[in-house]
Amino acid sequence: MLLVPCPNCGPRNAADLTYRGESHARPDPNTATREEWRTYLYLRDNPSGWLRESWYCSSGCRTHFQIERHTFTGELREPLLPGSKTGGES
Amino acid sequence: MALRNHPAKYSAFGLVRRGLRKTNWPRVWREPDWKSSYDVIIIGGGVHGLATAYYLAANHGITNVAVLDKAYLGSGGSGRNTAIVRSNYLTPEGVAFYDRSLDLYNTMSVDLNLNVMFSERGHMTLAHTDSALRTMNWRAEVNKLQKIDSSVIGPDEIKKLAPSLDVSTNTRYPILGALYHPPGGTIRHDAVVWGYARGADAQGVDLHQKTEVLDILCEGGDGADGKGAGATVTGVRTRRGDISAPIVVNCTAGWASTIAGMAGVRLPITTHPLQAAVTEPVKAFLPTVVVSGSLHVYVSQTDRGELVFGASVDPVATYNMGGTLEFTEELAGHVLELMPGISKMRLLRQWAGLCDMTPDYSPVMGPTPVEGFYVDVGWGTYGFKAGPVSGEQMAACVANRATPDLIKPFELSRFTEGELVGEKGAAAVGH
Amino acid sequence: MKNRLPSRAGEQIDRSTILSFTWNGKKLEGFAGDTIASALVANGVTVLSRSMKYHRPRGLLTADYWDPNATVQVGDEPNVRAAHRRLEDGMVVSAQNVSPSLRFDVKAANGLVGRFLTAGFYYKTFMKPAALWPRYEKILATFAPGGKVDLNTPHGYHDKRYAHPDVVVAGAGPAGLAAAIAAAADGASVMLVEHEHEVGGHLLWGTDDDRATAAALRAEAEAAGVEILTNSTVTGRYEDNWVAIAQRSHPMAVERLIKARAKMLIVAAGTIERPYVFAGNDLPGVMTSGAVQRLIRMYGVKPGTRAVVLAANDSGAAAVAALDDAGVDVARVIGSGDRAALVKATGSSTRIRKVHMGDGTTENCDLLVTAVGWTAPTSLLNMAGDRPVYDPSAARFFPGTPPDNVLATGGITGDGTRDQLIEHGRATGRLAAGRAAVVCHRLQASTARAASVDGAEPSYPADERAALPRAPHPEMFRAATHGIVDYSEDVSSKDLFGAAAEGFDSVELIKRFTTATMGPSQGKLETVNTVAVLAEARGETIAEVGTTVWRPPYAPITLGALGGRVFEPVRVSAIQPWHEANGVTPILAGQWIRPEHYGDPAEEVRNTRTNVGITDVTPLGKLDLQGPDVPKLLSLLYTNKWMQLPVGGVRYGIMCAEDGVVLDDGVTGHLGDDHYLMTTTSSGAATVWNWIEMWLQTERPEWQVHVTPITTGLASINIAGPNSRALLGRLTDDIDLGPEAFAYMQVRTGTIAGIDDCITWRIGFTGELSYEIHVPSQHGLHVWNQLLEHGVDLGVQPFGLEAQRIMRLEKGHFIVGQDTDGLSKAPTTGMIPLLKLDKDDWAGKPEVAWVLDDDYPVVVAVQPTDPTVVPEEACQILRADTIDIVGRITSSRFSPTLGRSICLAQVSQEFSEPGTELTVLLVNGTRTTARVMEHHAHFDPEGTRLRG
Repeated sequence: MLLVPCPNCGPRNAADLTYRGESHARPDPNTATREEWRTYLYLRDNPSGWLRESWYCSSGCRTHFQIERHTFTGELREPLLPGSKTGGES
Repeated sequence: MALRNHPAKYSAFGLVRRGLRKTNWPRVWREPDWKSSYDVIIIGGGVHGLATAYYLAANHGITNVAVLDKAYLGSGGSGRNTAIVRSNYLTPEGVAFYDRSLDLYNTMSVDLNLNVMFSERGHMTLAHTDSALRTMNWRAEVNKLQKIDSSVIGPDEIKKLAPSLDVSTNTRYPILGALYHPPGGTIRHDAVVWGYARGADAQGVDLHQKTEVLDILCEGGDGADGKGAGATVTGVRTRRGDISAPIVVNCTAGWASTIAGMAGVRLPITTHPLQAAVTEPVKAFLPTVVVSGSLHVYVSQTDRGELVFGASVDPVATYNMGGTLEFTEELAGHVLELMPGISKMRLLRQWAGLCDMTPDYSPVMGPTPVEGFYVDVGWGTYGFKAGPVSGEQMAACVANRATPDLIKPFELSRFTEGELVGEKGAAAVGH
Repeated sequence: MKNRLPSRAGEQIDRSTILSFTWNGKKLEGFAGDTIASALVANGVTVLSRSMKYHRPRGLLTADYWDPNATVQVGDEPNVRAAHRRLEDGMVVSAQNVSPSLRFDVKAANGLVGRFLTAGFYYKTFMKPAALWPRYEKILATFAPGGKVDLNTPHGYHDKRYAHPDVVVAGAGPAGLAAAIAAAADGASVMLVEHEHEVGGHLLWGTDDDRATAAALRAEAEAAGVEILTNSTVTGRYEDNWVAIAQRSHPMAVERLIKARAKMLIVAAGTIERPYVFAGNDLPGVMTSGAVQRLIRMYGVKPGTRAVVLAANDSGAAAVAALDDAGVDVARVIGSGDRAALVKATGSSTRIRKVHMGDGTTENCDLLVTAVGWTAPTSLLNMAGDRPVYDPSAARFFPGTPPDNVLATGGITGDGTRDQLIEHGRATGRLAAGRAAVVCHRLQASTARAASVDGAEPSYPADERAALPRAPHPEMFRAATHGIVDYSEDVSSKDLFGAAAEGFDSVELIKRFTTATMGPSQGKLETVNTVAVLAEARGETIAEVGTTVWRPPYAPITLGALGGRVFEPVRVSAIQPWHEANGVTPILAGQWIRPEHYGDPAEEVRNTRTNVGITDVTPLGKLDLQGPDVPKLLSLLYTNKWMQLPVGGVRYGIMCAEDGVVLDDGVTGHLGDDHYLMTTTSSGAATVWNWIEMWLQTERPEWQVHVTPITTGLASINIAGPNSRALLGRLTDDIDLGPEAFAYMQVRTGTIAGIDDCITWRIGFTGELSYEIHVPSQHGLHVWNQLLEHGVDLGVQPFGLEAQRIMRLEKGHFIVGQDTDGLSKAPTTGMIPLLKLDKDDWAGKPEVAWVLDDDYPVVVAVQPTDPTVVPEEACQILRADTIDIVGRITSSRFSPTLGRSICLAQVSQEFSEPGTELTVLLVNGTRTTARVMEHHAHFDPEGTRLRG
């Protein structure tokens, strides 16, 4: 089982957290076209490689954070709290 | 039939004759020479890709076709699934589609002259809650309209069909009923792969194994390298060299996003492992396929005596097929909830396959914004059972350059148009 | 025990303790310390099983856990590894896969037609006539190998253990023992896991000096504080060194799963001896060199009387020495690496009789011992991502480059003397301890809130171990004849040649086509031989053919151990004791057990509508929201407006996901300054909590809102009916229940039945005048009892979930997930006025706006034309005279209030106009008609009762 480094709680079994997946910026709901909104809702890069994604420490401190994970090797880097987000976050 | 001229028709007589003469059977398919151009290139040598090739040749006379696989035929999901087939889906479009698939499976052994060992042992989906039972009823009612043999049965009847199940009310999640689908069952998944491969090969299709696709060649598109919307496909680049073709069909699972990305096409897909496991063999005691959505488990016993288990996909998107311990723990816990008497059976092997999950638990089939680039992807956990009909329909789609009605609901454009398919309601564990 | 040798030093049996057991009903005896198999062989039993396909008689082959021919039934336990499982007094042991008996097996006739039953023969026949295939299938299924499951087997005691060792060592041969000792000496906590019953590995059947060394190492490990687990197997290595250990030696558990997060894993799994492929290689009496040494030296059992030994390595010589010791006549030793030296073995149905040599001579014997090489069991390394590399000069695969936190030592990595193995083990142990210290430091340092870590990070030790030498070994896989490659699957080298010729010529395809390596031995004995035969058939090298991936578990593990104890907690309200004492019929609703009814739900409805009823609604999700920005949060997550809700007000809201699909609904009350109580559906409580935190943390981190889930902190009781005001009035002094003072959709906090801080709101899910009270949980039962006690004259009665469902349906309230589904966007609920598109932003707003311009299905109230017909929930609604589905019944009941059937349905817009006649297909196949109603509420659509 993957050890996921929660920025607060430290490395924890992945089963203690909730996986939220690929991070995407939320378009402005008042100006987004259908295509933009549905791209946000449905389309995913889904790379076999490094992926910036969101996790939620649901059985611990309940913090949402982002991390970069390699989707093949399982390596992890750069856990980030939402406050220090780079690019979009949802 | 297409296989009439196959050099070695399979039969009991043939087995005896070769046994007496002590001769081997000829090659099941050729090792084809390398060619630099085809009419159609199919990426992915699994059931979907091979069936598409087979039906292109058999139904449309298109035989200048190459199937490319980066490993060996059937190395992906086709050889890793738990080989369950059924047609009792929730939506009319789902039912129509899978029922056609079941028809094709029913006659496949004869059609392909290879015994795929379809075992029509019945398929039972257990309901442990009121709401699950309501969904079963919903499915049964839709199925009834489409003349699918599928009905809701109670605990007594469940016990008769599968005596090993604990139908008492002493369990944490008592069994309240089940959707029983007698025509469902299991099939020898590798045999389906080989049958289509042999059939396609016999008609002239070239099967290139160990031929990884590195890029899709396009021109005229908006994106980098002439890819993306508005582009036209011109061929593929493989580890063994470039091949030109006006039509490229992406029939991969696990790498669907990667392959589509090579043409500049984004898909509504995330890739998750689906794990499975088998036990050591024991004498037959479980005659039907049993599925429990609430307990995230499905189980059947093979003719070899092994119990084959599966569950729902792992929550974390990954391309790693290493498998997890917690899968086996949860699986065993849930199986023992259903069948407490088998705690001394031993788990022999676990493995994983990659599943491309879509937002509405339905596939993505047909044309893409890149001219000549087609997809037959996003098959989630139910790709195997749809293999034959997908091949038949994708072949028609490619040959006629028009999407057949049966797969119209599954086009990629449905996501931008907001017309999602309604299988999600019942597909949490869709086996 | 006619084959028992005189007592000897080093044997593992205790001759003073005699155990009796039965074998196929016959009473036999063995000694404590025997395996089942050693006891059987001691008693002269040569045939232990029949093979899967041809039902050929099979005897002991490797005499260890992996012996493919020694799988037996013990009582209710199938597939017991007889050459590993220790004998117990009273064991009932029987052969598996025999029909009808081990000695006379009718299916052995298959052997006669074997030439027709080549691997994969079933793919080539039985296609026609198709109708007969199911019958063939039944016959094929009778060939399934394995034992019998007794479905009455108790679940057993199966707790699990978590461990956090610095180092796990898999394998306690000399290298593993030395590694464990060295790691512990350097301060690491170490678990040493040994598959066999004793530590020592091959030293156990070695010289006196070998055994003395093993004992000394064991003592040293114990003194160093190493935790030694024998008869236990490291079954898997998963991500980040999550290590699974099956402990079969626990004093209480049948088998226990240990889950260890190891900082370092050392794989010291030794080697497995490969059988040799030749005609007759599965005759009883053909054994590996390890098997005879084990039988003689560990169990004092004589494996035969006259032996031929094929000795391509030192182990063959050691076997000869053991045979000499045991008084077995060694008729000939073929000390050659020439694969043509031995041609075939022949014999009777129960025993080998003769060996035929390449020079044309023969030798009579009842034992043929082969020592032809080793397989490195690299499973655990494979699971860590390593791919083994073939070395032709040593004729075996070796580890490649495992990740940094996995090290290999001992025989799996090379050959060497006992001392070399021990030295390599010690170096590996030191390296592991050094690396574990770094991992430990990093784990602590990466926990932001942990106390600061002592000192600087230790330097990461590089791997500077001198590799073990590799002894040259001839490539001995197959003689010039064909024999069995996979014993448990009955696959021969001839089958493999045939499959390769047919085009199943990659290692994965041949495995799938012939099933070689797929059986209970899972490739431990046969993978390398399979690869070698395929390489020979293709004219390639073994390295070119490659090998298959070994998958977990390393050794089979029981479902009981994996499943452990069922731990699925059930949630009940504080009032549950009363329900149980008063004839409740319970219902499972998600995690909750709730009262469905107390005997007669229709009567419960009638009483509530006439007098007053109380119901336990504790499972309602409850979230305490505090902070100045709560109204903004509510506005963002609900579709309607919340900025102006005054203190004391309560409002209903619908939540959507970002795709516009209905996520949840419920009421939220404004309790005081910056203080709100939100209720959710009972099944949606966790989802909504997560949903709120996600928005607050990721999209609106500047907002000040505290969210606290208090679902189980408050017991919730709904008091409904014309007499509800009178009843509640008797239990409270400080809440003014007057119709104006406490109007519909308002909330008050006060004292009820002497309990302070009870939250009460006036809402109307049932359609009656009603109050929902939220009481601190510990007082829930008290308040419930007080309500019943003080309302006798008012006709108070409890009602359950069923009565509540009937009444809500009479009022036409939809239920999320029942009347809506996974694709129902908010407009489908019919609550169009609650969808405020003029609000700046709310979750799902764009999709809701677009769908409002579009066609969408609608929830409508429906009444069947025949009031006695209750269409089952899920009945389909069809376009008249067709089978086109235009909707479905989502809720239906017989209304005791209206004396007729009532429904909610989801229909396409075309059929949603009031007065539309619908065609409903009942479950029994008949069609009936129903009418779309003007209001969702079948009963009291103006709401006069609840506003009273």
